[in-house]
Amino acid sequence: MTTAIITGPITQFVDPDVKAIVQGMTGRSGRLHSQLMRAYGTRIVGGISPAGGVDAVDGVPLFKTCAEAVAVTGASASVAMVPPLAVQAAIEEAVAAGIKLIVTIAEGMPVADSVRALEAVRAAGARWVGPSTPGLAIPGRLKLGFLPDVSLVPGPLGIMAKSGTLSYEVCHRLVGRNLGQSLWVGVGGDLVKGTRFADLLPFLLADPDTKAIVVIGEIGGSEEEELAAAMRTLNCSKPVYALIAGRTAREGVTMGHAGAMILGNVGTIASKTQALRGAGAHVFTKIRDLVDAVADGFGQTMGA
Amino acid sequence: MMLLEHDAKELLAAGGIPIPAGFLAVTSDVVPPAALTGPWIVKAQVPVGGRGKVGGIRRAEKAADLRQALEQVLGMTIKGQIVRSCRVEQTVQGMECYISLSLDPALGRLNALLSTEGGVDIEAHAAKGGVLSADAAFRPDAALEATGKLATDIAGAPRETLARATEQLIRKFFEFEATLLEVNPLFICSDGSWVAGDMKFAVDDNALVRQPRLCDLIRRRADAYPEMELKLTHGFDFIVIDREGEIGLVTTGAGLSLQVLDELAARGHRAFNFCDIRTGQLRGDPTRLIHVLRWIATGPSVRSVLINFFAGITHLGEIAQLLVAALKAVPELRVPVTARLIGNGYDEAIAVFAAAGNPLRVEPDLDHAIDLALAPLLGARL
Repeated sequence: MTTAIITGPITQFVDPDVKAIVQGMTGRSGRLHSQLMRAYGTRIVGGISPAGGVDAVDGVPLFKTCAEAVAVTGASASVAMVPPLAVQAAIEEAVAAGIKLIVTIAEGMPVADSVRALEAVRAAGARWVGPSTPGLAIPGRLKLGFLPDVSLVPGPLGIMAKSGTLSYEVCHRLVGRNLGQSLWVGVGGDLVKGTRFADLLPFLLADPDTKAIVVIGEIGGSEEEELAAAMRTLNCSKPVYALIAGRTAREGVTMGHAGAMILGNVGTIASKTQALRGAGAHVFTKIRDLVDAVADGFGQTMGA
Repeated sequence: MMLLEHDAKELLAAGGIPIPAGFLAVTSDVVPPAALTGPWIVKAQVPVGGRGKVGGIRRAEKAADLRQALEQVLGMTIKGQIVRSCRVEQTVQGMECYISLSLDPALGRLNALLSTEGGVDIEAHAAKGGVLSADAAFRPDAALEATGKLATDIAGAPRETLARATEQLIRKFFEFEATLLEVNPLFICSDGSWVAGDMKFAVDDNALVRQPRLCDLIRRRADAYPEMELKLTHGFDFIVIDREGEIGLVTTGAGLSLQVLDELAARGHRAFNFCDIRTGQLRGDPTRLIHVLRWIATGPSVRSVLINFFAGITHLGEIAQLLVAALKAVPELRVPVTARLIGNGYDEAIAVFAAAGNPLRVEPDLDHAIDLALAPLLGARL
């Protein structure tokens, strides 16, 4: 039996067979998540440890620099598990070494650093998912980051989410309705980020295996509004279901995520709901309502 | 985070930004310093827009009016936030201009807006094309160059002053790692000087670790920024949403925690707090849980506690042990506790609770857990 070769647009976003390195592999979470990603089937071909002195961790070779790791392993993706103030340098090093997709996990990256990192990523023609993301996955094939296995099942839904935990919850319930995911990308809850909702839309629309799109948004910033504009521009033909968290948030106060703050008229639930509904999306405030609507859209009976 | 106007002004004034003379009042019983002769303007200190439109900004001609204005504004609720202090300022005469510097998150660039017609109607004015706009790479030199060019489009006497003000504000914007610095009105006085009439100043929370003066401000003014002070001290988020809220939340994950607040609101209930405890960082130590339970126990109306942990990685057996230890350490919390737990080690967690005499109820489904947590509020038997 041969494995079907996936050539659809999802692979243009990320190749499920991509070779990946882990920057910060010798740290506590770097080591743990490297093991878990490998167990999931991700090809982790190397780790970076600038200190040197160790040849391998759990059988995965260690290198002092990204350039060395790329030259030896041919890796083109990286997962950076380094502290927030070290993320910018990690991204700059990775893209300079030829890494084309970098996922950065750390929460708390200063926005000025994110701007610099974004400039480096764009100049290198690379792709960045993060900061402050649980990562991305093509369920059953690839996991870069630590999306929980309990919620990851192959299926027809393209998932884009600002929040890790809220997407775990929503996807877990959708899996309970036999609805898994084609591609799941956590874009993170920061203000400036590598991949925004609107950036993902073309891939999900062009992908034949993605039948519907689920958006996990929240107050703050303008990403949901940008997505709505992209839905119009691209004549979005697939159903879009959105959950926007934070209707009880206090204005002027950061609600956990660095990007989750309402400032005057910017970043409100009303603005996001209006923009997305205007573009044809179904917008919900309760998880159950979203899950029911998605299941309904797939012709399933109500009640899990 | 958004700084209160008073703090933003004092912080920037210490670095040379001109502001109207003023002081912070927390009661109406104030005697203005002798140098402040009035008339005054009394401004509610809450980090929200549109204060003026709801009566949060008042003018006082005489000292007697000042007390009355303060009495009217102090204690007001603006967009759900109680006014606990007012900035009292000397009024300023001058031409009302406008400067806004903000980070455009989608582009990763600085957006600068300038106008010689500022004031409360700036949005309408902007809609008519009356505001000059430029964007630049997100660094001081590029921003100065772009706004310098922009200022050449300003006619007449205000040009030089506005250009000078813009330059000073750009330096402060980057010095404090701001995401927004808006001055409106920005008064240009007849002698060519300028004064920041009102100010909105938002700074990057993630940069606080390398902003000692902002950290110092937050600690000094902990009453005004309790959630930021708490985050600096404890490393996680806990925000009191409603002092009279009836449900205390022990939750992890910012987005899911926000959503739990919304789910409660959709059922007609206000939570006491928002919380993102970050279970992945507990590492066998119940300290954070103990803090959160103690803070919740101070809520005068709290009648139920809901724990919600969707543990992607952390083992629930370990979390259960920490919960048992934390509940034991906070005997003053005497309300029913419901825990929604999901993840690896559920059965082990149940066994840990059973061995501890079941100090809480456990439920794997979030909607059911919310219903259980609400039961004590609805008068139903547990």
